[in-house]
Amino acid sequence: MAAESPQDAFEAFATERLPPAADGAVGKEGRLDAAFAAVDGETRLVQDYATVPFHLTGGLDHDEALPGLETVYLQSPTGAVAQGDRHDLSVTVGEGAQAHVTTGNATKVHGMDRNYGRVDVDLTVADDGYLEYLPEPTILHADARYRGETTLSVAETASAIVGEVVVPGRLAREEAFEFERAYTRLQARDPDGLLFEDATDLHPAERDPRRPGVMGDHDVLGTLYVVGDAASDPLHERVADATTARAGATALPNDAGVMVRALGDRAAVSGALDAAWDEARRTLVGAPAPARRKD
Amino acid sequence: MSDDFPVAALQFADSFLPAGSFTTSYGVEQFVAAEEIEDATDLQTLVETYLDRQIGPCDMVVVAAAHGAASVGDHDELRRIDRRCSAVQLPAEFRESSTRTGGQLCSLVADTEDDPFLSAYGRTVESGDAPGNYAAVLGAVAARTGMTARQAAMVQGYSFVTDLVAAAQRVLRIGHTEVQRIVTESRPAIVTAWEANADRTVDELSPFAPLIDVLSAEHERAERRLFLS
Repeated sequence: MAAESPQDAFEAFATERLPPAADGAVGKEGRLDAAFAAVDGETRLVQDYATVPFHLTGGLDHDEALPGLETVYLQSPTGAVAQGDRHDLSVTVGEGAQAHVTTGNATKVHGMDRNYGRVDVDLTVADDGYLEYLPEPTILHADARYRGETTLSVAETASAIVGEVVVPGRLAREEAFEFERAYTRLQARDPDGLLFEDATDLHPAERDPRRPGVMGDHDVLGTLYVVGDAASDPLHERVADATTARAGATALPNDAGVMVRALGDRAAVSGALDAAWDEARRTLVGAPAPARRKD
Repeated sequence: MSDDFPVAALQFADSFLPAGSFTTSYGVEQFVAAEEIEDATDLQTLVETYLDRQIGPCDMVVVAAAHGAASVGDHDELRRIDRRCSAVQLPAEFRESSTRTGGQLCSLVADTEDDPFLSAYGRTVESGDAPGNYAAVLGAVAARTGMTARQAAMVQGYSFVTDLVAAAQRVLRIGHTEVQRIVTESRPAIVTAWEANADRTVDELSPFAPLIDVLSAEHERAERRLFLS
């Protein structure tokens, strides 16, 4: 069976023309640029450019343990990726700045019969900068085709915590692994080149993901990448002992940091990633994870 | 199979080859400890998952790319492929196994093959400038000893299956006949793993086995273990 690479598969989807858009249809090419800079010991959102469907909250300064950190919520009134959508997000953290970026709600990837939906995320952190990029889960509805490409570029003394949770359908209505294809990839680089690369490659009709070694009998997959000076043992203990997810931590290649993987139901995976976030934050910036305004 | 099938393919697929692969269980030790594998059927399923999600879309692609680089004597490209192989192998103990066995194969052929390209690459690995992953080294050795990329991938696939079942035999109650049956039934899966990924470039590696990653993380901290990974 000559399977194609995920990249080739999505190139083929891209040749499928979309039905003509209704007048006034906007938001197919959503764009968001956010830049943070350190100013007088605080972090400020110094650039904020958003096109439909995105909107960025102003800074929320509710993180009492880390007063120098700026928190923003990326909002989308549609909360969704539809066929033909190409969303492009970029977050830049300047020298010595600290930022937390999240979304207000889950990103739903709708069912599609032509083309596909793609979200590109570029994260850049300068020296002594610190970024937490922890969006809510991506939910893959039946017949969805989704490609997500994330790049993380860190300067030598920068650190970052990046999370991803993939939910394989509207589980409450017993829809699971009915999407067509999902491929997400994170590439992390430093000035010397590629640090590590991780891909999620799911094509349920061709390969059953619920096999031993892949998803087992679990539905939800979560990964937290802790990039910076962190050790894997404390993170492993925290997620293996304190949560109901099947979870573990391992040292990333090229001394880049630690990866935490968690499998389970949605609450268990979120719990494991939150615990790992808290642990990693204590190591990297000496502060516990705050209660979030959306919880 | 063509008439010019090289004997070298047999040599490098043989478990007699002193590359230290007997220290590798590909996580099977932890699968057995966690009672996720209890019999030959479970083991067969795991072997197929590995071939489909790890060996095919990652290791064999690296073997073929390394074969291509070594065929034209491109030392820097081989090093780039080798480094990429490390960057996508996320469980730490899998990287350790891969570079340990790859390093042993590299220093072995530096002594036995009388090939300046392999000797030079051996020095690069020894100096720490390249990681020396098994798949990258094997691809290079294969190219320099007259194998085709396909033959090299078959050697990789076959070695993987025999390493894994040999490890399983030490931690699971399973007979020689059952073990040979798994090897026999894996033969078409090895060919499929190659054919499904033969066109992939080294920039399109996509190993995906998250539960193996978690079990490997558990194995790193297991109190009793026979195997390095």
